[in-house]
Amino acid sequence: MVNSSKTHEPLLVARGVTRLFGTAYALSDASIALCRHEICGLLGANGAGKSTLSRIVCGHLRPSSGEILFKGAPLIAGSARDALRSGIALVAQETSLAPDMSVLENIFLPSYAMPGRLSFSQLRHKAQAILSELGHDHMLPLDIEVRRLSAAQRQLVEIAKALALNADLVIFDEPTASLSPIEVDRLFDIMARLKNSGKALAFVSHRLEEVFAITDRVTILREGKTVAEGLPTAGLTQADVIRHMVGRDIGNVYRKASSLAASNEQPVALEVTGLNASPIVRNVSFMVRKGEILGLGGLVGAGRTESAEAIFGLRHRNGGRILVGGKEIPPKSPIAAIRAGLGMVAEDRRAQNIVPDMTVGENLFLAQMGKHKGFGRGHSARRTQARELISRLGLPTDRMEANLLHFSGGMQQKVIIARWLLIEPEVLILDEPTKGVDIGTRQAIYELLREVAEKGMAVVVISSDFGELLGLCERVVVVSDGYTIADLPASLLSEESLTLLAAPRSSAERNAAFLRDLVAGYGGTAFWGLIDDDRFVCLAVADGARSTPMGLAAGHVYLAHETAIPLALEGRQPGIATETDGRSTVLAPLSNRRGHDLGWIGLTLPPGSKLPKAETLSARMAGLFDTPQNEKIDA
Amino acid sequence: MKATYRYFAMPRFTSTLEFRMLGLAVVLALILSFISPYFFTERNVFNILDQSVVLGIVAVGMTLVILTGGIDLSVGSVAGLTGIVLALLLKEFSIPLAIALAIGCGALIGLFSGVLIAVFGLAPFVVTLGVMAMGRSLAYIVSGQRSISGLPMGLQNIVYTTLLGIPTNVIFLLALYVATWAWLTYSKGGRTIYAVGSNLEAARAAGLNTLFYSIFPYVACGALSATAMTFSLAQIMSADPIGGNQLELDAIAAVVIGGASLYGGRGTIFGTLMGVLIMVMIRNGLNLLGVSPFWQGTAIGAIIILALLAERLITWKSRRV
Repeated sequence: MVNSSKTHEPLLVARGVTRLFGTAYALSDASIALCRHEICGLLGANGAGKSTLSRIVCGHLRPSSGEILFKGAPLIAGSARDALRSGIALVAQETSLAPDMSVLENIFLPSYAMPGRLSFSQLRHKAQAILSELGHDHMLPLDIEVRRLSAAQRQLVEIAKALALNADLVIFDEPTASLSPIEVDRLFDIMARLKNSGKALAFVSHRLEEVFAITDRVTILREGKTVAEGLPTAGLTQADVIRHMVGRDIGNVYRKASSLAASNEQPVALEVTGLNASPIVRNVSFMVRKGEILGLGGLVGAGRTESAEAIFGLRHRNGGRILVGGKEIPPKSPIAAIRAGLGMVAEDRRAQNIVPDMTVGENLFLAQMGKHKGFGRGHSARRTQARELISRLGLPTDRMEANLLHFSGGMQQKVIIARWLLIEPEVLILDEPTKGVDIGTRQAIYELLREVAEKGMAVVVISSDFGELLGLCERVVVVSDGYTIADLPASLLSEESLTLLAAPRSSAERNAAFLRDLVAGYGGTAFWGLIDDDRFVCLAVADGARSTPMGLAAGHVYLAHETAIPLALEGRQPGIATETDGRSTVLAPLSNRRGHDLGWIGLTLPPGSKLPKAETLSARMAGLFDTPQNEKIDA
Repeated sequence: MKATYRYFAMPRFTSTLEFRMLGLAVVLALILSFISPYFFTERNVFNILDQSVVLGIVAVGMTLVILTGGIDLSVGSVAGLTGIVLALLLKEFSIPLAIALAIGCGALIGLFSGVLIAVFGLAPFVVTLGVMAMGRSLAYIVSGQRSISGLPMGLQNIVYTTLLGIPTNVIFLLALYVATWAWLTYSKGGRTIYAVGSNLEAARAAGLNTLFYSIFPYVACGALSATAMTFSLAQIMSADPIGGNQLELDAIAAVVIGGASLYGGRGTIFGTLMGVLIMVMIRNGLNLLGVSPFWQGTAIGAIIILALLAERLITWKSRRV
């Protein structure tokens, strides 16, 4: 171990940092200390100055006043290049990638600023190594241009870029915003490794669970000022943190909706069958009723966003039917979808929603103008509704003429959601509605969505935040590799089961093959699933010779006592259980090499057959994790 | 602690670039009237307005194109070609029919560029560069490399008739600006043009007809080039295949001086009008001062750059990093 007094000497200290934009203070008296062997969380509501402070520390911005010491010496701020050379790297929130350059070139873009010759073959090896650490070596080709990547993939490139610098201090500014839980896990592994190797890390995030999972200390900003510095995470509760962030208490953000009593009798608002939009969306089907909040879950890149875009007419459809209120909508353009009663808050706020040269007011009325038929702008028709929405959402009425980009991310998102609520669609699709939005605004958005759903709007929420899906939605449809694979009430799901359901089919396929292998040898029915309390989530199933049908199907949840094998599932013990009708089941727990619980594998045989021992099953299952290709299953 | 963005006491308009360009135009006029006593005479003022007509009309079309984030380099040669076409048509048809056909011809050329740009996704710069070359070459071929004169005298009526003492071409110009301003500010189509230039994807997702309004500005630009040439022909009563040469540069300069962003989404028709007046006043002033035509290009170029530089320095502080 390194000399302990040395490790607690902060690597970087910022004191009394102030930064003005025009006449507005983005930071006033902010301070932070970052130590080696530590991950420090940097928290604050939107507009609190987290990103500004990060960018100042990394030399992207010059502070108006204040002192920054790095390794004991004043940092020559205002030059990103100097900061890079002295060993500070930033994983930026708004992507700092060059869209027309390849993934490889982007990862090593900072090297272009260094003297000396570059060896591309060497860089290629290095990039490959970094990406495989991130678990994306075979999913992210190095030679593809960055502009063709999805938001999550870009974020991974951004992270790889910072890792490639091998810096002493790495600041992660909302690195997880568009990552799936599996990718977040991997990132946290890497961060933990960096920390153990003596680096200092700062982690900016809106997701408090993540902050509690990974950080050692937290520093909290409010309105540009540090209100709590270096508090040990271990001694904090979420409520403490939120109180510091917003200066008051906020209750549980996921207040469960009083689910509409007879929701199954409500008419279907949107029905999607066999949607195909190559290459990503292969077969997506789901429906949502009036007054229901439906979650569309899955990993980034699984085809959720693409499905929504195809439904809305933003993406070419190759097949499938889309019925809004029973009427089919032509796959022509968004205007047809809007007039049929659809609305969509697209994923990328800046690129797909905001018209930067228009005022807040005009942005608010944009969809109304599109829907309205006629020569004029169509604003007057909905002035009263607009006024109601503005006061309902707490938007500042005196700044309707201002530039929307001058508002915080949360406020921008409210305006964009209001844009669609204004035209009163029958179905509103929201793609990552709380991405980069502070917790106070998130709560307001959840409440608003519940309110409009109670009034009869059908709401479809796409989110990578599984906690959000389960907390907000009544039902969750899981999309994986372009197929809908499950459609379950949220009350039957947990974040773990959702994560496993959403896993790429390529990894689930290995387990399915294993099941087929089992039944080929023993006959009967083999299954893979999660058992928790009295529920059984079936993830894969295979029937062999001599099987009596058990009525299990992948992607469905069953109550254990209603299945054909209640004793086995309720017992939840490795070993053999025999049911009253004589059929018997052997169960064995499945876990990956890191000991992560992946559920159970079972084999059920009709009465009188000879079952293998649970140990035999476990031994064969261990083979599942032998080849490196199984990396992907490490959920 | 947070400062608010509100401007007290100052009406919003005064903080805009167009307003500063209006100021520049006034200052320029004052300077020129001190230097040359002839500058501020009624005759010269009408002269300036008269000289503004051709550039002013073309600049309206150019404003629409630039607002969508495009550029039209072909306006000069389209004007030249449609001038020749109009001169030939006037020998066969009545004046109104000939004018309508010539403007239709300009619109068709614009449609050609617009479709290539908006439907096939070609770069506006390259497409209109090609159309520029074709237009000028066709102008020479159709005209047989010579200027066409002997146009019907009735054509002069569209210039030399006056209404309340104001020539009709000036009235047309002002009416065009007022109509375009109203359309750009209050109509769905006009706002769509801004939205297309500002964020095409968001405009499309909001249900706006982005395809139509990506093509339309080029059609308007072509038609307005032909219209401008009609007024020009009525004044000089002959069509030359070199007519409208370098008009595109003056038009782009006027629009940019007027505060429009070449990236699209930003700019106003009032700003363009100021840009046109500034351009014409400078040229008029230089002529009055007897500056050699060969030096005029240098002078105009320097004044344009200085104006934009001053504007940037004024707004430097309020820009966000």
